[in-house]
Amino acid sequence: MAEQGEPAEQSKTADEPKVSAAELKKRAKADKQARRAAQKEQEKAPAEVPPATNGAHQEHLTQAQGVQQDQKGKATQAKGQQQPKPSKQGGQEVRQERGGPSQPPNIPLRNKAASTAPSKKLPKKDNTVVELLSHLYPVQRRPNLAGVSKDVHPAVLALGLQISTYEICGSSARCVAMLLAFKEAIQAYTTPRDTSLPRHLVSHHLSPQIDYLRSCRPLAESMGNAIRWLKKLIVELDPDKPEHEAKDFVCEEIDRFVHERITVTDQAIAASAQDQIRNDSVVLTYAKSAIVEKTILQAHEQGTRFRVIVVDSRPLFEGKRLATSLMRAGLEAQYVPFSGLAHVVKDATLVLLGAHSMLSNGRLQSRVGTASVALRAHKADVPVIVCCESVKFSGKVALDSIVLNEIAPPEELLLSPIPEKSPNHPAGVATTAVTGKSAAPGKSAAPGKDASEDDEPAKLKTLHDWNSIPNLRLLNPMYDITPAEYIRMVICEYGSVPPSSVPVVHRLANEGM
Amino acid sequence: MPSSVIGQTPSLTTFLKSLRQNDIENSIELFISLLKRRQIKNSRPCAIATTHLLLRVVAEPKRKWDAQKLIARVRHVGRRLIAAQPREMAVGNIVRRVLGVIREVAERDEDPLTDSEFSGSASPITGEFQRPALPTRFSEFSPLHGAAAMPHNMHSGRPGTADSTSMDFGSAPQRPALLSTNASYAGQGPPGTSLFSILQHPQGRSPMATPPPGTQSPVTGPSPSRKGTGGEIPEKLDIKAEVIDGIKELQDELDVVDNQIAESALDHIHSNEIILTHTSSQTVQKFLLTAARKRKFTLFHAEAYPNNHEATHATILNGAQGEDDSNERWKPLTSLGITVILIPDTAVFALMSRINKVILAPHAVLANGSLLAAAGASTIALAAKTHHVPVVVLSGVYKLSPVYPFDTDELIEYGDPSKVVPFEEAEFTDKVDIVNPLYDWVDCDLVDLYITNLGGQAPSYLYRIVADHYRVEDIDLNAKQEAMAKKG
Repeated sequence: MAEQGEPAEQSKTADEPKVSAAELKKRAKADKQARRAAQKEQEKAPAEVPPATNGAHQEHLTQAQGVQQDQKGKATQAKGQQQPKPSKQGGQEVRQERGGPSQPPNIPLRNKAASTAPSKKLPKKDNTVVELLSHLYPVQRRPNLAGVSKDVHPAVLALGLQISTYEICGSSARCVAMLLAFKEAIQAYTTPRDTSLPRHLVSHHLSPQIDYLRSCRPLAESMGNAIRWLKKLIVELDPDKPEHEAKDFVCEEIDRFVHERITVTDQAIAASAQDQIRNDSVVLTYAKSAIVEKTILQAHEQGTRFRVIVVDSRPLFEGKRLATSLMRAGLEAQYVPFSGLAHVVKDATLVLLGAHSMLSNGRLQSRVGTASVALRAHKADVPVIVCCESVKFSGKVALDSIVLNEIAPPEELLLSPIPEKSPNHPAGVATTAVTGKSAAPGKSAAPGKDASEDDEPAKLKTLHDWNSIPNLRLLNPMYDITPAEYIRMVICEYGSVPPSSVPVVHRLANEGM
Repeated sequence: MPSSVIGQTPSLTTFLKSLRQNDIENSIELFISLLKRRQIKNSRPCAIATTHLLLRVVAEPKRKWDAQKLIARVRHVGRRLIAAQPREMAVGNIVRRVLGVIREVAERDEDPLTDSEFSGSASPITGEFQRPALPTRFSEFSPLHGAAAMPHNMHSGRPGTADSTSMDFGSAPQRPALLSTNASYAGQGPPGTSLFSILQHPQGRSPMATPPPGTQSPVTGPSPSRKGTGGEIPEKLDIKAEVIDGIKELQDELDVVDNQIAESALDHIHSNEIILTHTSSQTVQKFLLTAARKRKFTLFHAEAYPNNHEATHATILNGAQGEDDSNERWKPLTSLGITVILIPDTAVFALMSRINKVILAPHAVLANGSLLAAAGASTIALAAKTHHVPVVVLSGVYKLSPVYPFDTDELIEYGDPSKVVPFEEAEFTDKVDIVNPLYDWVDCDLVDLYITNLGGQAPSYLYRIVADHYRVEDIDLNAKQEAMAKKG
């Protein structure tokens, strides 16, 4: 285990340069802001609330803080969330202006009244972060539209919300949706007088959109590839081209990109992958991948008789949607929770997996749990086949799922109650308990007094109180990384390749063009 | 269903309460129905309920057992219980343990008895020098007992009286301390009792033979073991009383098993360790709590969705709960300063590379070192194996079953599919085959260590513990009675 730590670090540094310099800088800046804001917040001086606003700076700040705030808001009270936000933000804003990075240590001295606050706040802040993965945390989801840059196009705004609620989910779907939204954003763009479109569009118009999307949910590798392609396309435009022509050209190119790299590619991959499904096959798949779904449905249309096992996981229950669509198509489907994996793998003759991204060392980054599925299948000698468009191939490398991952809000793990998430869950037993009990969240869990016969509802705490328990954390990673040796074949539009060929395809597809 | 249970959800607690009031047949039926309805489930509640029920069966008033009858009775009850819920292996384990207790008691009784039978028959005719050959008959049954019984028969054999035999009957022959008393009493016994009475003695019907043991039992009885208060027919009472004692010991074992396992916690958990566990097992919680008092570690807790996640969450948030006594809750680990990180089961592989130890709680452990555990356990164990993370299984001996797993599939129980997809989604539940296995089969290859109440053991050693705890005759409870009758 110890020996794994080091390479993991290396891989992190190794993939760092691949992110464009601008992105890096921006990220670093946002991080810094967030850190500073967090420090400020811990020292929490509600005394000074003079709402000083200064435009240019605030734009960036609020984003970072909004993010931070989100985390806080959820931490402090799971329900009422955003109420205290504006005032606090004002306060932070002010201090941000006054104090440079060296400032923070002085602050507690200055406001003695507030000095009791930090001790109380500190554990709560920690409470949301699992140290092991703390590097993944600064990127937090935006809860609402407060503090969004005014430059963000409404289509992109809507998309951001859809992405953060998983309404649009899946690497390629997000990529396509993003490109379509960018099309609208680009059409709405007018070049300011003293500059040209190729110079101005990317840095001043697209960047806020991208930043906004990133704040909704970290960008998928496919989105990164598409953005890189789009930036290159725009920068290389002829500056003398009339604006509307240039915009039309870019939009056409985007359409072509979507068509070539995703729509047609999907068809090609599905056509190729469906050959793997033969009569009496038992196809096992995990969660939901659009391309796997397409493959299965096509094979079914062709009259192949086979059975599908859908393994699903909490908290997204994507597999259920896949199973529903297969059911509607008249396929024989079996639906198994992740815990039942061991029982169904031995029935399978083929495992089809979708990808979030294929990494350059041949590893597969996909929905968390995929690695276990692949491992089990590998041990049972069931071939594991990954269907993945080349746009999802990545130059990054990773050895484990810790360095490179995305942490979803832990609240998603809570079962049922809080209304926003209800459709996904079978009615949780804990529902009634929340309203009754969470009113008095004791600092330490001191149970044992009234837990009576009627089990769940009478309990002192439900998972919704997790924030009030000092040492409890909820961890909800999005992806894991499947070792290349479990993968028999990767089907992409360049053909069926072994995982070791991923970097080659990546260079060909994403860097060569 | 008996009236006492109405009004509450039937559970282990209500069952134990009702045991006092119901007659035995009703209790058996009630337990069977509770098992069938899964209102008593999981190993520990089943084991506890079984011990209590068998205690009642053995202690049945107005019944006088001899060993064979008692064995037959317990076997019969045991078969019915096992048939009610064959996958709750703890039931079968306890039945076998109780049978083992009965056999042991019976052997203790029989050894001297039958020896003296022979001594009685042999000594007048051929003398004692032929007798050393005799114990061989018992040595196949239990070599130890036969051997132990032999010298003391050498002593008492010559007088060869009814008294000596009856007295031996009550005593534990393998205890050397008794030898002198035996001998002395043997000497005092009225001489000249007929061979007939000696041979009759095992049935204890001889009016000639019974009075002397009755008078002697206060002397001999208390010394070997706690016995009946010298009833009229001591050997019958003795069996009953000793078996009851044996079952009570079993109950005590069930009470302390977790503590015994937890005692070794500090031998296995070091500071700053990152541990992964699964489900809401009490045993694991107690183990970790014990470790947490001395050491700080980090615990990743997989939630075992969809069958055990609520209990797991409750355990993490409020502390583990005793099944038998729902008012009692332990402190949660978090209150001892242990960082507990709740993760979905899917995240196990992702995190495994950072985990130092996986601790699992089995549903049942089988003779070859494999185990049945909550669904998802085998995926965790497999992930651990591929990351070379040790897998430690905490299991009381009562979970250790003599069953050898020839067909692992039949051991798996399938649960309520509505826990996966609620029945409200009619179309889905109708057309899609929803599978919700409750248990996972974890192969012995994936386990590195068992920690039982007897200490740490390698999986490959478990068969020895099985051999220590179960009699060969009892392993197949459905075997024909004759087969055993031959032996017993």
